Amino acid sequence: MQPANDSHREFESLALPLLDALYNFARWLSHDQSEAEDLVQETFTKALRGFSSFAPGTDFRAWMFRILRNTFLTSRTGLQAKLTVPLDPEEEAAAGVTWETPETLAVASATREALQQALSELPLAYREVVLLCDVEEMKYAEIAEVLSVPIGSVMSRLARGRKLLRQMLAGERPAGIRKVDGRR
Amino acid sequence: MSCREWHDRLQSYVDAALPPQEMEAFRAHAAHCPDCGSAALSLMETKGALRRAGRRYEASSDLRARVVATTHQAATDEGTAKARSAITLFWPRWAITAAAVLLLAAGLFFLANRSQHPSSLAEFADLHVATLASANPVEVVSTDRHTVKPWFQGRIPFTFDLPELQGSPFTLVGGRVAYFHQEPGAQLIFGYQKHMISVFIFRETPQLGIAPASFSDRGTSFNLQTWTQDGLRYVLVSDVNAAKLQDLAVLLQHHA
Repeated sequence: MQPANDSHREFESLALPLLDALYNFARWLSHDQSEAEDLVQETFTKALRGFSSFAPGTDFRAWMFRILRNTFLTSRTGLQAKLTVPLDPEEEAAAGVTWETPETLAVASATREALQQALSELPLAYREVVLLCDVEEMKYAEIAEVLSVPIGSVMSRLARGRKLLRQMLAGERPAGIRKVDGRR
Repeated sequence: MSCREWHDRLQSYVDAALPPQEMEAFRAHAAHCPDCGSAALSLMETKGALRRAGRRYEASSDLRARVVATTHQAATDEGTAKARSAITLFWPRWAITAAAVLLLAAGLFFLANRSQHPSSLAEFADLHVATLASANPVEVVSTDRHTVKPWFQGRIPFTFDLPELQGSPFTLVGGRVAYFHQEPGAQLIFGYQKHMISVFIFRETPQLGIAPASFSDRGTSFNLQTWTQDGLRYVLVSDVNAAKLQDLAVLLQHHA
């Protein structure tokens, strides 16, 4: 059946190409196939309902990812993830980055599986920012819009998240990181 | 700028987030500074490795179909709601009441006469046309009946069998869930040369209100075939000629 009007057609033409990326992100957030599928479907429903409030010319992709992330954060898994790994405000402020070359090499030479395992164990606040930056290749401003935080926080979380990843792959287990069972 | 200062900007350089002139300045610096150059290269490799590892999951065709269906459903619902609010805005209450009474009378007349009327069949022709006009005519795309049939499991409240088409001039294009009078059913799309044929399968209920006999309708430019078998109502709609439609009907009847 045909969409009722042009606005729905426009929504579809903008949103459907993002389906795989949104699903990938949802799956990394929730670690679960059916939960990720529900998240994506709910995101599309909410986005379509609010499409009239979406300002043309602004970033549609960031808007969709923000809806997905907010939906996830209010889900049961999302609430648990938020409770178990609170962001350290002092860590937020410390944006300085230093590079330990051996650890950096550990990431570059790690197998795909090892990287995926480390990424899935990364606390949510860092996992999401690394995914948006490195996998979705979003600009800092776009990520800031998805997460509703200042660009400075995006940069410090990225630095911290990448550092944690490097440490994990170099065989260290940074404090506060627990092993996650490889759920579906 | 010193190496120390560049180190603080390394991440932004790798993420291409520095202003253009600083991006250029770093490239010039790295060309002469092996430390900064290798640090940047290593971070870029890290970024690339993460990108490859992070692109891990793809939406299933099932999810894609569900999302498309939800979007279409919402579009239809909204269209109806808008039409309703437009009526309330522009028409005085008495006019709406009068219109409702007229509609009710017309509806009763229709109900009383529909057993002799092919109106319901014309609605199937509408569904057929709307489907072909859609950007996504089928939700499950497959020429294999063993793929199409299981796809309907859990989506419609009955099951049906599909014929072997090898050796026949017909091909299976795919299927979708169709709704008729609030009842979910299967809509299968078959191809015959360049023509498309919709085969609707619904549970036979009194609400369906279709004349029980099989016939072709010359009132619309479409040919229609319909029959009931094992409690299921089959309706074939297409612009192919009646004889060809009959051939497909026979195939379906013998395998259903």
